[in-house]
Amino acid sequence: MEPLLSVKDLKIEFDTRYGRVTALDGASFDIHPGETLGVVGESGCGKSITALAIMGLIPSPPGILAGGSIKYQGEELTTAPEQRLRQLRGGEISMIFQEPMTSLNPVFKVGDQIAETIMLHQGSSKDEAMDKAVELLRVVGIPEPTRRASSYPHELSGGMRQRVMIAIAISCQPQILIADEPTTALDVTVQAQIFELMREIQEEFGVAIMMITHDMGAIAEMADRVAVMYAGKIIEEGKADDILDFPGHPYTKGLIGCIPALGKASASAQTLPPLAEIPGVVPPLHLLGKGCAFADRCNEAHDACKVSPQLKGSPHAVACHAYRGDVA
Amino acid sequence: MKFLKPTLERLSYAILLLIAVLILNFSMLHLAPGDIADTISQSMGGADAETMEQIRRDYGLDQPFIVQLGQYVWKVLHFDLGYSFFYNQPVTTLILAKLPATLLLVITSQVVALVVGVLLGVYSARKPNGLASHFVTLVALFGYAAPVFWTGLLLLIAFSLKIPLFPVAGMIDVTVEGGFFAKAFDIARHMVLPVIALSSIFFALYSRLCRASMMEVLGSDYIRTAKAKGLSESKIVLKHALKNSLSPVVTLAGLQFSAVISGAVLVEAVFSWPGLGTLAFSAIIERDTPTILGILFFSALVVIVGNLLTDLVLRLIDPRIRRKG
Repeated sequence: MEPLLSVKDLKIEFDTRYGRVTALDGASFDIHPGETLGVVGESGCGKSITALAIMGLIPSPPGILAGGSIKYQGEELTTAPEQRLRQLRGGEISMIFQEPMTSLNPVFKVGDQIAETIMLHQGSSKDEAMDKAVELLRVVGIPEPTRRASSYPHELSGGMRQRVMIAIAISCQPQILIADEPTTALDVTVQAQIFELMREIQEEFGVAIMMITHDMGAIAEMADRVAVMYAGKIIEEGKADDILDFPGHPYTKGLIGCIPALGKASASAQTLPPLAEIPGVVPPLHLLGKGCAFADRCNEAHDACKVSPQLKGSPHAVACHAYRGDVA
Repeated sequence: MKFLKPTLERLSYAILLLIAVLILNFSMLHLAPGDIADTISQSMGGADAETMEQIRRDYGLDQPFIVQLGQYVWKVLHFDLGYSFFYNQPVTTLILAKLPATLLLVITSQVVALVVGVLLGVYSARKPNGLASHFVTLVALFGYAAPVFWTGLLLLIAFSLKIPLFPVAGMIDVTVEGGFFAKAFDIARHMVLPVIALSSIFFALYSRLCRASMMEVLGSDYIRTAKAKGLSESKIVLKHALKNSLSPVVTLAGLQFSAVISGAVLVEAVFSWPGLGTLAFSAIIERDTPTILGILFFSALVVIVGNLLTDLVLRLIDPRIRRKG
């Protein structure tokens, strides 16, 4: 099947006071219609930059698109004029963000903020757009949508605001929805509701979702396929089930180890295994050497790791010298 | 009612504040040496102690301080600001005759300062490191650093004396004939230099503040959302960002109201603008206490009304400030 979105060797650099650093180093992945691609990794590994690059919203300066291509339905986006990108943004490709508390404009009513997008992309009249905005609020599960449409963001809870953001994002029936840590700032119960809502929307509208998260639990819940990122590179990619059951890269294993085992063992606290952690932090981008960026934190590192490993294998690809192929 | 209740609350505070200002002004002027008796005896070429006593008795200046204060506050509460012995007119008449000229100058200057300041602030925030932005900063710093009367004098020398584009002084040229528009144009011509002088300092403040708040707003999450919606840059800046970045500017403008009025006194003196400032100036020279008190009272009134208006405008701009009524 023809991919909806195809990212090839995408390279993004940033000018910093340490000189030019590579924030994204040759990332490649596809998103197919109607599927959910999970992108996982710690803070600063390049997930959000990838999303912003697809939207054409890399702040420049200091950001530089140093190479690679982003194709949407065969159309190259990296060289597309701003005019065309504006049509796609919010229309064909839309995005929801990590911070629902600050992502809505505080001085406009939420109904107007939804209607604005509809008027922009579908050329509807103000009245039509407002009717549709109320309908969308109902779709995303906001009670009393007519009344809520004339609320200001500060009158809504975090979960409600994220629902409004989702309403804005799906208002023009996009093909791709990029969700950048959509539930990180929310309560666990609200997280579950938002995931549920996203799944419903995907079923109803057939939208493909690119779900960015640092939470393997969220991946297990949502994703069809997974790309694991570390220090600006994709280090493992494959079907969600394969990766969750047979992680190939030590970093992926570490991330999976970080999921609390609550519920897996029904016994008391004593029998629960201690929560795993990955020692150290993601190295600063300006200190990256030639070798595997994870080597310093890796308990399987050996001499070969002084050379950066390539992403190998299909459909389950891993970039690790210690990896010897799928067990399954 | 989202607006009524807080407004009424503010209004009652404002009245209390006004009475406090009244008492304070009266007490301070009472402490200052010299009174109307000195001025009268001076104009008579000197008077003996008995005549001085007589004058003070006539004007009720021999009463104890607290009695004088009580009488004054009582009269003001009945909308009577007293009588100017120097001008031989009721103070209220005197002030109301001069107030429109001052209000015209003050309000025009504030509007010019706000509009120009916000426009330049927004412009320089979009390319904060561009040449134009640095130029705006330079002009703003100059406006901020230069005293108003000095700017006024320079403008006079440049555009009235060296290049006679604008009239030197006053507000109306009595020789101008014609209808309403001819007269209005004449006043506008007289206003240009005083307005530039008076707005220069405030335009500087507003453009700097607007630039800073605009830059902050442009980096915020909801602007990223607006971009992700596919909005054009001009719509993002002029609709989504501007409304958010106006709050601090409006707040500052409200706080500056008193400064604008004291600035107006200086500018009026430089340009012989026939307003409250000129009146205040001569009233102080002549120790015309009732007139000084009256002007101070009106200035306080204008500042308080200005602050009330600021409050209302802020409520209109930012829904988060509105309280549930």
